[in-house]
Amino acid sequence: MKQYFKQGATVLTLLSASIGLTHADADVGQLQQQVSQLEQSLKQLKTQLAQIQNQNEAVTEATTADEAELSADAETESDDDQSFVTRAELQGLQSDLENYKYQVQRDRDTKTALSTRQLLINGVVQAKASYIDEAQRTPPTGTNTGMAVQDRHSSFDLGAVQIGFIGNLYKDYEEGKNLDFNLRFGTSPQTGTNNSYLNLLDAQLTYHVLPTLSADTGRLSVTLGQQLLPFGQEVQATEDLKPTINNALFSLPGLGYGLALREVGLIVRGDALPTVDYGYNYRSPMISYAFGLVNGNGANKSDDNDDKNFIGRLRYTLPAEYNSWLRELSFGLSWYQGKSNLFEIDGTSAAFAGKGDVLRKGFDIYYNHHPFGVTYEYVQGEDDTYISQTAQTYKRESESHTGTLFWNFGEQFVKGFRNQGRYDDWWPKSYQAFYRYDTIDRDKNLADQTVDIHSLGLNAFFAETTKFQINLNHVNNDITNKSYNELVAQFQYGF
Amino acid sequence: MFKWSKVLFAGLLSTATLVPAVQSFAAEAKPTVIRLASPLVGSGSRPVGYGNFYSTTQTLGLLEKEFQKDGIKVQWNNFKGAGPAINESYANGLVDITWLGDLPALIGKASRLDTKLILAGGTHDNTYLVVAPGSSAKSWADLKGKRIGFFRGTSVHLALNQIIKKHGLTEKDFRFVNVDGPVGYSALASGDLDALFTNQSIFPVTDRGVAKLIYSSKKEPAQYQSSGYILVNSKFEQKYPEVVQRVVNVLVKQAAWDSNPANKTELFKIWSKSGLSYNTFVRANDGVDLKRHSAPILDAFNVAVIKKKLKAGQDLKLIRGNIDVDSWIEPKYVNNALKTLNLQNYWKPLNANGQ
Repeated sequence: MKQYFKQGATVLTLLSASIGLTHADADVGQLQQQVSQLEQSLKQLKTQLAQIQNQNEAVTEATTADEAELSADAETESDDDQSFVTRAELQGLQSDLENYKYQVQRDRDTKTALSTRQLLINGVVQAKASYIDEAQRTPPTGTNTGMAVQDRHSSFDLGAVQIGFIGNLYKDYEEGKNLDFNLRFGTSPQTGTNNSYLNLLDAQLTYHVLPTLSADTGRLSVTLGQQLLPFGQEVQATEDLKPTINNALFSLPGLGYGLALREVGLIVRGDALPTVDYGYNYRSPMISYAFGLVNGNGANKSDDNDDKNFIGRLRYTLPAEYNSWLRELSFGLSWYQGKSNLFEIDGTSAAFAGKGDVLRKGFDIYYNHHPFGVTYEYVQGEDDTYISQTAQTYKRESESHTGTLFWNFGEQFVKGFRNQGRYDDWWPKSYQAFYRYDTIDRDKNLADQTVDIHSLGLNAFFAETTKFQINLNHVNNDITNKSYNELVAQFQYGF
Repeated sequence: MFKWSKVLFAGLLSTATLVPAVQSFAAEAKPTVIRLASPLVGSGSRPVGYGNFYSTTQTLGLLEKEFQKDGIKVQWNNFKGAGPAINESYANGLVDITWLGDLPALIGKASRLDTKLILAGGTHDNTYLVVAPGSSAKSWADLKGKRIGFFRGTSVHLALNQIIKKHGLTEKDFRFVNVDGPVGYSALASGDLDALFTNQSIFPVTDRGVAKLIYSSKKEPAQYQSSGYILVNSKFEQKYPEVVQRVVNVLVKQAAWDSNPANKTELFKIWSKSGLSYNTFVRANDGVDLKRHSAPILDAFNVAVIKKKLKAGQDLKLIRGNIDVDSWIEPKYVNNALKTLNLQNYWKPLNANGQ
């Protein structure tokens, strides 16, 4: 374009000069000579213009500092016969652009979910069917028939049904010290009622204290609100990552310690000394830790006393590069300590009877080396329980072991492999076979307080967020003196 | 009942152990599938690479044609995670033959990935430094203390560290941010990055006026430029040498076609099926000797470049460990292919100095 301007300017200058000359008081011969020169110049310009048009020569403006080095690129452009567009093509492009803008605006107005801040909506649904070879029977209590179950062997149920909202409240572009939120609701079948309430599960705010942009540095974040406890492995695993349909006994309320229930509090999480293997896009911190204070009273409740419970976890991962047999081998220690209210129950009335100690100690091993992995968790519990005004508080001591061995067939468990460019909605079909041994002794000082579950299962992953699970559980319950087998099939999808 | 559980447990263990054992002892003459991988992905996640004869072969479906009569399936995997994702897949035994950029190939081998280097897959590829159109930066020095994006672990990483070293600078002089291509373009456009160091895929972005080119590696020595190699899983190579030879034959034949200047227009059109414009390849290959670029031979020059890159990567602490380059390279397949295709004199072997 610059050359066009130069040529135009030259022509105009020459024309101006010629106009001036007509008014000049010069002799005719001189004028004729000048006109002849002008004609010659015009002819040259026309020739150049024709050459330019014939060759479709593109002209670029060298905008770089190192013009000599980059001039080759500009010259190449001049060889390209696709540098110009016609007016019709340009109008077509403008029209497409306007139509696109209109469509985007209209869809935004009428068909788009909006939020004030960045938001990702996600969820999990589990639909399952089960068969138990031991009839389940719960007789009515008084006139209350809601809890009654009459000789049931089979059932259809919904497992976890959850919907979550995660997003960002403040994004730090400089260092990645972001402020994030997580809101999650979930429901599960309520025994003896047809109400299935949507309960608040997670409601938390997380601030990343240390920069998160570089993989080479440690992380540190503070989370305030209702959240999962950083205790062991299974408690922190989300539904989509758990191999088994039923959760480990120790994590559940009732027989276990209820550690999988959320609590409200403030927890600091972080890691240090990461091994970063950029050749594999792999990051593994040698030390990861979490500690904090929580109510100790479960989810969706205010604290029931002034004592706050302490939660702490320290995990050591062997500093191994990706292509090492020692990759993903870690050892963890978890600690949960606090106090709970004790009550003296007399008939239909209850009174405060002081506070009792609650202690959970955990040790876990994790080794995940595709195609197989092994996990083991040991949890020891101590709970003070009230007996009577005269007797001492009884310390109930319990313990649990949970071991899982799994073997993967397929590629979906390799992060880099499943992230591919494909034309269709491709996903590597994968299968995971596992065996789990889960046991808990509710009171080590008493006999027949043990429940064992052996589970053999297969998970089939046939789409990005969808899996089919089948588990065969053998339950040996010394507390009820019953042994039975249970077959559970579950279809889980996420979005 | 506990016995019942033991039986179950033993059954699972036996199954888990036997399945891979049966697989490994099945000495078949031909594989059922050849798993190929490329770190190149086209626009819109389309599985179409560009810029080398390996990608041309994929786009033209030549290996599928070669093995169709044998009933051997050819599976292409184009990884968005680029070279690191291929290394990850090698480590887990999920790929057989791949194209891999210089740095990830060297890192993988140095960390004991059991691979053989059987072909040069394209040399003299260039890297580019771009800034936002309104930036006043005109050189590396002008960007001191600024945020520069690039994709760590890829061949661009090694080129970057060598080039800044040549300019008397180190990583500490900049604030490097790990980004892949599309993220880098948008970050540059939004001002979250001051500059971006990347490969030829930047040209459509400069054409849109989102970025301004201030540096190209075209005038740099070969070791500062990027190169790629064809690797094969050693177990696959030992088990199916004939299949590997046939794959190499197809690739070398295509390399010869890519090398022919008469095919340049057609070649760039094939590469532009990736979604990058035709003009991208015109500009990226201007001043580049396509015949030398596509030469698959493992001559003294190409071997010397690999060794120089290894040394540079080790000096810059990007590569841990060492590699016996001479034993890593297995030239017999390319040499056989040259004889079979009567191409012994097509590419002139160069000495270590490039003469």
